[in-house]
Amino acid sequence: MNELKQICKEALTEKKARFIIAYREDKNKKTKPFIARTPEDAEQIIFNHQAVNNLAVYFPRFKNSGEGKIGIVVKSCDLKAVTALIQENQIKRDDLFIIGVNCSGVVRDTTMEFSNDNTQIKCKYCQAKTPPYYDELAEESKEFEMPDDDQAELMARIEKMSSDERLEFWSAEFEKCIKCYACRQVCPMCYCEKCIVEKSEPQWIDTSSTARGNFSWNIIRAFHMAGRCIGCHECERACPMDIPLTLLTRKMGMVASSEFGYRHGMSLTEPALIGTYSTSDKEDFIK
Amino acid sequence: MEEYIVSLDNLKKIADELLNNHCRVIGTTSENKFKELNYAEELVLNPGAVPTSSSFKEFFFPKTEPLFFYKQNHSNVDLFNPIQDKSKIVIIGAKPCDAASLPIISKVFNWDYKDDLFNSRYDNSLIIGMSCHYSDEFCFCNDLGSSPENMKGSDVFLKPLADNYFKVVSVTPKGAEFINEYQKYFEKDLGKNKSLERKEENPKHFDYDKVKTWLDNNFENKFWDTAGEMCLGCAQCAFVCPTCHCFDIVDEQNGSCAGRRAKNWDACQFSLFTKHASGHNPRDNQEKRYRQRISHKFKYYMDKFDEVLCTGCGRCSRGCPVSLDILQIVEEINSLSGNSNSIQ
Amino acid sequence: MEEKFEPKIVAFVCNWCTYTGADLAGTSRLKQEANARLIRVPCTGRIDPVFIIKAFENGADGVLISGCHPGDCHYNAGNFHARRRWILFKNLLDFIGIDSSRLHFSWVSASEGKKWVDIVDDVIDTVRAKGPFKQYKKMNKEIEIPVDVEEGVSAK
Ligand code: SF4
Ligand code: SF4
Ligand code: SF4
Ligand code: SF4
Ligand code: SF4
Repeated sequence: MNELKQICKEALTEKKARFIIAYREDKNKKTKPFIARTPEDAEQIIFNHQAVNNLAVYFPRFKNSGEGKIGIVVKSCDLKAVTALIQENQIKRDDLFIIGVNCSGVVRDTTMEFSNDNTQIKCKYCQAKTPPYYDELAEESKEFEMPDDDQAELMARIEKMSSDERLEFWSAEFEKCIKCYACRQVCPMCYCEKCIVEKSEPQWIDTSSTARGNFSWNIIRAFHMAGRCIGCHECERACPMDIPLTLLTRKMGMVASSEFGYRHGMSLTEPALIGTYSTSDKEDFIK
Repeated sequence: MEEYIVSLDNLKKIADELLNNHCRVIGTTSENKFKELNYAEELVLNPGAVPTSSSFKEFFFPKTEPLFFYKQNHSNVDLFNPIQDKSKIVIIGAKPCDAASLPIISKVFNWDYKDDLFNSRYDNSLIIGMSCHYSDEFCFCNDLGSSPENMKGSDVFLKPLADNYFKVVSVTPKGAEFINEYQKYFEKDLGKNKSLERKEENPKHFDYDKVKTWLDNNFENKFWDTAGEMCLGCAQCAFVCPTCHCFDIVDEQNGSCAGRRAKNWDACQFSLFTKHASGHNPRDNQEKRYRQRISHKFKYYMDKFDEVLCTGCGRCSRGCPVSLDILQIVEEINSLSGNSNSIQ
Repeated sequence: MEEKFEPKIVAFVCNWCTYTGADLAGTSRLKQEANARLIRVPCTGRIDPVFIIKAFENGADGVLISGCHPGDCHYNAGNFHARRRWILFKNLLDFIGIDSSRLHFSWVSASEGKKWVDIVDDVIDTVRAKGPFKQYKKMNKEIEIPVDVEEGVSAK
């Protein structure tokens, strides 16, 4: 525990980073993101099972914000977002001071203790509890029991449905949407300065939260995440209406991997899936 | 005046009759959400439940609603007004922090322009409140002059008794009329059913007057640079809040020559909220937008309408993806105001 | 008697190949059904999936997208980029419940007037067999002028 604090303190004292995006605990023992700017701030830094936030979401805010490296505390899964942002030319590796943490799983429901039933599904598939690269590494990694993948069951159920049934299922889910765009705001990969829903000449996607507006929004958001989502599950956690958003993005990730053998956020040098092409991409569906 | 009690079963019977009379009956369900009920059986009243994740404001101020429809007719444009659903709205089981929101936002909807859409629903509604036996680290109704027993905004108020009974308090003439109308379902209170008391008291967290004074003097204070810096601008907080009432007006096309003008929820946490057509944005970062949220709630609304634009329900904090806790922010302001009233 | 259902098809076609091919079909006086409305875009690479959604929103029962054969793109690689997006988008729509009977893709060159006619007829038949896109039309209800409205006012 002290180790992470120590590393951050040193980094700030020795100006290896101009500030560090990290986690702290508030007086109600809630873990939340904060920015440590001074070695004293670093005293507050913690990491635990409740450290769910993907802190890479804060990067766009600091684009061209001055000299010096940005420090960030990352779990292995969050590092994928960092890698993906580097792949998409949003940030440079050299501008980052990455403090990796060995992760022992994070909670699904932040109001409850960490347990087998309260572990995020992504933790089950996490291949590297230690981030693949970093400037400093902290925390002990502890074994934990793997959660059930109830999402895979739901996915299989949907895949067995007829297309009409599927449309009915998703229409009912999207109907609940209130167009708060929390899903977009928490997503580290949604960094567009002007989102497509904000483009009003013409208005491509209705801003109204009608059945039609909700449907278009959710489809297009999922499409923009196709092969780009790094699976942090933040969108679904943030959605106040409990729409199973990661079911869509996960499905698209599976398509990216089966059709193109591609996984986003896994390599600093591989070009991003969208934006490149191969002359041998499949075309059996084109007449 | 006679004192009454009512059983849960009879409340459901009342709900049934209301449904048969084409009222819109809104109550909490087993999922602890406000829902327009199809059957009275769906109603679940649990005074010990956490406030629902979303408030019931959508039944008075929907997330989207048409103002008018238009259609091109040669060189003219024909306009059509939608017919208002005039059914009576009955809310059953509103917590004090829910019920209190209606008289608060009613003020802004009746300030210079009278918002018929809101008024036609609110005037034609009946709110059955219920005392609250829940409190967590996010609740702070006590600090705003309310309490878990507060009847503000309710027409009828229920106090839980043992064995699924409720003591019935008539709060407004509307409420008395209602009790009269459904007399047969109410029983005389013989004092037999033990009343269920709250286990713990809600603690006091801050002194509102101190907070207000600080806000009056500290629009420019370095506190604001960090208070909202982790806010993502997702506006989840505003959309679930019972008192947030901002809206946007948009035209929406359907085909080439027709469409509608709609009124949609909007929120000050969106970067587009204050963006001018020129491209200039006076609230150009999230810190300023967060200051606006806090100031609107605890200062501007008080200045203009003599009410705090917050009931202390804590929904915004419970749902915030980055755990920004409005109560802790206000507490911080409270402690700041202890040592300085000056502009920094 | 119920009227026979005639589907509305929106076809997004690229300027250089398919549009010219469709033109050739016309000048060669090849017969085709009249249900498809063509929208000409510079290149298939210009077709944002949101166009497809917009077409459905505006009442299309089916959508056809067509452009130059791989290797023939006027801008060299527009259709390659497009193809990659289509694979993803098609799979997404399929998962959401809009299957391949409503969304069609083809490569039609400037000289393939006959192929164009065959494809359009085939698409129309498929969509006709599938029936009107009721589910999407239902989603428009809130935006349509309701049947019971207060009498209208007319504005110049
Ligand atoms: S779409 Fe959701 S799961 Fe995927 S990167 Fe964005 S927030 Fe994370
Ligand atoms: S939804 Fe699409 S357009 Fe909007 S921010 Fe995300 S990626 Fe950008
Ligand atoms: S977070 Fe949920 S409710 Fe909000 S816009 Fe996204 S899908 Fe809709
Ligand atoms: S819910 Fe939290 S992160 Fe979202 S806008 Fe509100 S305060 Fe900011
Ligand atoms: S600001 Fe938060 S605590 Fe206050 S009424 Fe709104 S949701 Fe409830």
